[in-house]
Amino acid sequence: MSARKKSQKPKVAFFDFTGCEGCQLNKLNLENDLLGILELIDLVEFREAMDDKAEEYDIAFIEGSITTPSCVERIYDIRRRTKILVALGQCAVSGGINAMKNNYPLAQVQEEVYGKDKYLFPSMPAMPVRAFVQVDYEVRGCPMSMPEFLHVLKSLVLGRKPEIKDYAVCVECKLKENECVLEKGMFCLGPITRAGCDAICPSNGQYCTGCRGLVSNMNKNGAIEMLKQHGFSVEEAIKRMAMFNTNELVKEANWGNR
Amino acid sequence: MENVAREIKDLYTPVIATISLVEQLTLSEKRFWIKLPRNQKLNHHPGQFVEVSIFGFGEAPISISSSPTRAPGFELTVRRTGRLTEKMHQLGVGSQIGIRGPFGNGFDVQRFKGKDMLFIAGGIGLAPLKSLIEYTLDKRHDFNRLIILYGAKNPSEILYPQEINEWTYRDDVEMHITVDRPDAQWKGNVGVITTLIPPLELDLENTIATVVGPPVMYKFVLMALKAKRLPDVNIYMSLERRMKCGVGKCGHCQINDSYVCQEGPVYPYTRIKELKEAI
Amino acid sequence: MNRQAKDISEMKCCFFDQNTTKQFIEFLMSKAKVIAPHRKGEKSFSFQETHNPEEVVLNYNRTIQPIKKFFMPPRETLLEFELNGKPKVKKPEIKIEERIFLGIHSYDMKAIRLLDFSFDRDKPEANYFLRRQKSVFIGIAYEPDEYHFAQDLGIDVYDTTGFSLFMVPAEKGFLIFEVDETGHRYLQEFGKGLPLDAELQYERPEPTKKLKMHYNRLPQIFSHVYDSPVWKKVAERCLGCGTCNLVCSTCYCFDVFDEVNLNIKEGTRERTWDSCMLNPFAQVAGGENFRPTLDSRTRHRLYRKFKYLTDYSGELHCIGCGRCSYFCPAKISLVEIINELIEDYNRQQQHAAVTVS
Ligand SMILES: Cc1cc2nc3c(=O)[nH]c(=O)nc-3n(C[C@H](O)[C@H](O)[C@H](O)COP(=O)(O)OP(=O)(O)OC[C@H]3O[C@@H](n4cnc5c(N)ncnc54)[C@H](O)[C@@H]3O)c2cc1C
Ligand code: SF4
Ligand code: SF4
Ligand code: SF4
Ligand code: SF4
Ligand code: SF4
Ligand code: FES
Repeated sequence: MSARKKSQKPKVAFFDFTGCEGCQLNKLNLENDLLGILELIDLVEFREAMDDKAEEYDIAFIEGSITTPSCVERIYDIRRRTKILVALGQCAVSGGINAMKNNYPLAQVQEEVYGKDKYLFPSMPAMPVRAFVQVDYEVRGCPMSMPEFLHVLKSLVLGRKPEIKDYAVCVECKLKENECVLEKGMFCLGPITRAGCDAICPSNGQYCTGCRGLVSNMNKNGAIEMLKQHGFSVEEAIKRMAMFNTNELVKEANWGNR
Repeated sequence: MENVAREIKDLYTPVIATISLVEQLTLSEKRFWIKLPRNQKLNHHPGQFVEVSIFGFGEAPISISSSPTRAPGFELTVRRTGRLTEKMHQLGVGSQIGIRGPFGNGFDVQRFKGKDMLFIAGGIGLAPLKSLIEYTLDKRHDFNRLIILYGAKNPSEILYPQEINEWTYRDDVEMHITVDRPDAQWKGNVGVITTLIPPLELDLENTIATVVGPPVMYKFVLMALKAKRLPDVNIYMSLERRMKCGVGKCGHCQINDSYVCQEGPVYPYTRIKELKEAI
Repeated sequence: MNRQAKDISEMKCCFFDQNTTKQFIEFLMSKAKVIAPHRKGEKSFSFQETHNPEEVVLNYNRTIQPIKKFFMPPRETLLEFELNGKPKVKKPEIKIEERIFLGIHSYDMKAIRLLDFSFDRDKPEANYFLRRQKSVFIGIAYEPDEYHFAQDLGIDVYDTTGFSLFMVPAEKGFLIFEVDETGHRYLQEFGKGLPLDAELQYERPEPTKKLKMHYNRLPQIFSHVYDSPVWKKVAERCLGCGTCNLVCSTCYCFDVFDEVNLNIKEGTRERTWDSCMLNPFAQVAGGENFRPTLDSRTRHRLYRKFKYLTDYSGELHCIGCGRCSYFCPAKISLVEIINELIEDYNRQQQHAAVTVS
């Protein structure tokens, strides 16, 4: 937490693993808003970080999931060099969409993704960063949620723990007095999805696809019951949920065991 | 309604107070002596708490661990556990913090006059009890026996070694201390705090027991006190809950129909029996 | 403010046709800020400031949020502070403006009177009462839908307590009743209504009979159902999403947190509405959660409405607006829960009777 000691600016680096790069783009879009905070940090250039020029970091942001043995090496290395490690975006947090491939036989995925060169690229199931190293904080979402990213960045620069929300998207949705999309006959994963995005999809009349993962202590049977009430079969409901949460669902919620 | 609203005192703006002394007690606990502007008195009762603010880091309820008889100024004992408390541990003499309060009800010292006092503290629960212990010491003639039972996890976590030493050597205080896990040097009692209760000889009708500790402790201490046949009306407990406002509004501290920040944190056991969520 | 108003049949009344009603809204807008129900999205309604009388929707079933949001906003800055150097704190000024709340159902008005109690209790809160003052309320009769059960809780559709004027939809317009002095002044000044002397013909909606027991008995029932199996049953379907609290007319719990600006030089202490149905609500630093299960949280929510606060105020703290049930994603109905508790209570009583005899 001594990220700001002796008026030295904290060294901040961003690392990209296997993701869709949506998160990276998302962050770049914001550089205008970020001007204030950029003065307070020493941003290790993306390329520099790749070249491993900066040896130690105060805060390392990790994007993307871990999909190859060389990714594993690299994440261990980063963990050794950084004081605080933050997983950015659902790929880094839970394996994300990359984890979908866990549901297919590995050989088939390799075939599809790498074609005939599959033996040159040893692949493994898409794993979240925390499967390998200690993750201090997570910014969920696909793409990652901007309000939460800014909150985490500000908090860490100030030298305090960020407040990570652990309640449903419905809370933020209701605080904004949005029309509930359920009322329009749509379905919505807001009631079991972790808030922190300011309910951005329902605020725009869209349903929540659950991209920020599940709230903890989720009521699994209740959730299936709700989706059934809104016209989904159990399988369909699980498929929708699994989009961003394959690893989480298997581990934490144990869906499918019904 | 117009004039009424204007006259209502704001509940949420803290006064800015100054840290005038810091002492590291254990690895994770420090105590701070706090002075209000113009050396104002806090005017608290033993057992009450304040809301401490560090701007940008939030607010947290912290018990006042010194007796009102030692005002002006008051002591806070803080365990490092999170956002605010970590920052508090980085603050030194001269640093300024926000204070709201005192809040809650505190111990019913008037009712305790002339009684035998049995203090039972586990871990950081000694902080709020120290306020009452000091109070009874400063008004020693108002009270009869003073018996202090204190349980710590291990000898290195004993909160106030100085004070405990002083209490141990006073012949008008009966000090008993135990640790769960002794180290090589430890020569005292070993075991949970409840092991200190059975050997006590108590004047049951005239003994007041005050209990403060971690949530798990209460049930077992109660069982031990009941085994001794201490009347329920003579037992008091201070409970901890999540708190945000300290003024009976935010709802976080509720135990059934009771707001801990208003009716508590100190409850007579007779009331706790009505509160099913209490222990 | 709490005086019970007389029945509208004893009040002076006039008639506004649709056009006059619009003119009246314009007149009100010239006097103060007017807040009224507007459309929100495709099927919902919301209390908003009126800029155009055409946009006011007076035949609505319920708004998403109750009027509470004008006295206790969903998010509010409690303090502003500077981080550099010595701490400096400032409380943002709360501007006190006159507001006219138009088209309010009787239960929503009752909710405000209950919130007055809650914010006054123990230590009165300035933020609430500063916003609350200078409010004028104009009520309107409504047609109860399947979710309303205010009448079952003793709140008549025509209960005018707290209002200055009361509107009753009639053919091609509204009957306007003068409830208090302010309402009288408004009508005098506006001066356009058609005076009505003849015996009034307006239909009172059939009282709903949704609850299986008179509301007077509810506190008693709640003294007996703390350990009822009903809580677990409801919890099987509940998602703990908090919606029921966050749309509730009488809930007032909140969370407080500090937020800093992007330059990390200034910040604010914010409060937002909170909900006792959420998992972290009663969780403390060590990880201990004092209400860890959905059944204990559901029970707390209902006890807050029908027992805990009632013991102090003598009033039920649910006003039967039906928002919690209407917006619950799991379609959990408060009326059904209460009826099941009533049945459970009746079973207990029968059982007790059998054991005695
Ligand atoms: C009446 C009372 C007296 C207390 N006395 C002391 C004391 O003398 N010394 C001491 O070290 N601690 C005391 N505590 C506990 C202390 O309030 C918490 O450790 C503190 O709130 C943690 O805040 P944080 O920001 O450091 O931790 P974080 O975990 O970062 O804070 C999370 C949030 O949860 C809330 N919270 C977390 N834990 C608690 C808790 N145990 N009680 C209430 N709210 C909590 C806080 O409001 C905080 O904003 C007391 C608590 C109560 C209710
Ligand atoms: S739209 Fe979705 S997130 Fe919003 S309240 Fe409805 S269910 Fe919850
Ligand atoms: S509303 Fe749902 S899908 Fe949209 S960003 Fe938030 S969590 Fe993701
Ligand atoms: S709105 Fe429904 S699902 Fe959500 S917490 Fe309330 S009762 Fe449970
Ligand atoms: S509990 Fe439900 S019906 Fe009762 S006041 Fe609240 S939202 Fe309305
Ligand atoms: S305790 Fe629950 S029911 Fe009561 S006001 Fe708070 S959120 Fe509403
Ligand atoms: S701490 Fe807010 S109500 Fe007690």
